[in-house]
Amino acid sequence: MVLTPAALIFSTLTVTAYVIANFIYLRFRKTPLNPVITTTVALVAILVLFDIPYETYMEGGDWIAFLLGPAVVALAVPLYKHRQLLQKNLVPIAAGITAGVLAGLVSGTLFTRWLGFADELILTVLPKSLTTPVAMQIASTIGGIPSLAAVFVMVAGFTGILLGPYMLHALHIDSPIGRGIGLGASAHGLGTAKAFEYGPESASMSSVAMTLAAVLGALLSPLVAWLLL
Amino acid sequence: MKIIRIIVQLLVLYGFLLIGEAIQALLQLPMPGSIIGFLLLFGALLLKIYPLEWIDAGATFLLSFLSLYFIPATVGVVDYGPLFSGKGVWLLPIVSISTLITMAAAGFVSQYMANRQAAKKEVS
Repeated sequence: MVLTPAALIFSTLTVTAYVIANFIYLRFRKTPLNPVITTTVALVAILVLFDIPYETYMEGGDWIAFLLGPAVVALAVPLYKHRQLLQKNLVPIAAGITAGVLAGLVSGTLFTRWLGFADELILTVLPKSLTTPVAMQIASTIGGIPSLAAVFVMVAGFTGILLGPYMLHALHIDSPIGRGIGLGASAHGLGTAKAFEYGPESASMSSVAMTLAAVLGALLSPLVAWLLL
Repeated sequence: MKIIRIIVQLLVLYGFLLIGEAIQALLQLPMPGSIIGFLLLFGALLLKIYPLEWIDAGATFLLSFLSLYFIPATVGVVDYGPLFSGKGVWLLPIVSISTLITMAAAGFVSQYMANRQAAKKEVS
């Protein structure tokens, strides 16, 4: 990370776009206006329009992405605040998250293999249901492509919040624990935001699920990759 | 004063990250250093080695803009346009279906186990 003019321009541009996107989202509150989507689309449009290579953009982008690591560490604080909820429901939470993480890793690997995708892409799809910072770091640890992994995490998140509620309803998953763990383990932060609509207990469950799924996913991804590839 | 406290706590978070990364490199673990840092901080909080008040403000501040930090990565999709115009477009339904399978498994198992636990308590 070097402080070049490009670094200054593109980090400022990213923060500005993000602030505007959040403002728009808070004003209209429509799911497709999610700030991550709108900011990404706006920045991609600018890069394409002005023919700016991604590498040049990343001189500034790196300064922002630098905060991902400390942010993952910081996730310990909300989990610690929910420790009583976790203690009281330890068995159902642990069982549900283990089942979900395994189902996600195995199904993702098998589907991509059946369609004959290269190992690099399979390893990129693998951590899709984990919170973005963790998914990206896992992807780079096991040999996937971090920026593409972040895109799949978004696809997983939007699938979870747009189609998930119908599926939960159809399967009679209607308790705060079932909904919360289901949304958090599969659709990470976006799922947790959705879980708030079911009530505070579902939201807390989802937040716990998101964090624990990330930890378990970090442990199991290399193992599943090693076993199935 | 609050700003100084937040800055100091952010540095502490960064310290946990550095320790996590050092452990990862030292033991050659196939796990991101940030997750190791996370586990260390969570352990330190649980064991009351490190008090919550010394990290709460910084962590809450940092996490309130979490989605900003991965935008530079999602912008990277700009380099993968050709992938999605070909066979790679199949990766999208794969990710969606696998996500729903994940949700069904996690939701069903946790609810089933919770109901079983509740039923057991009623019997005893």
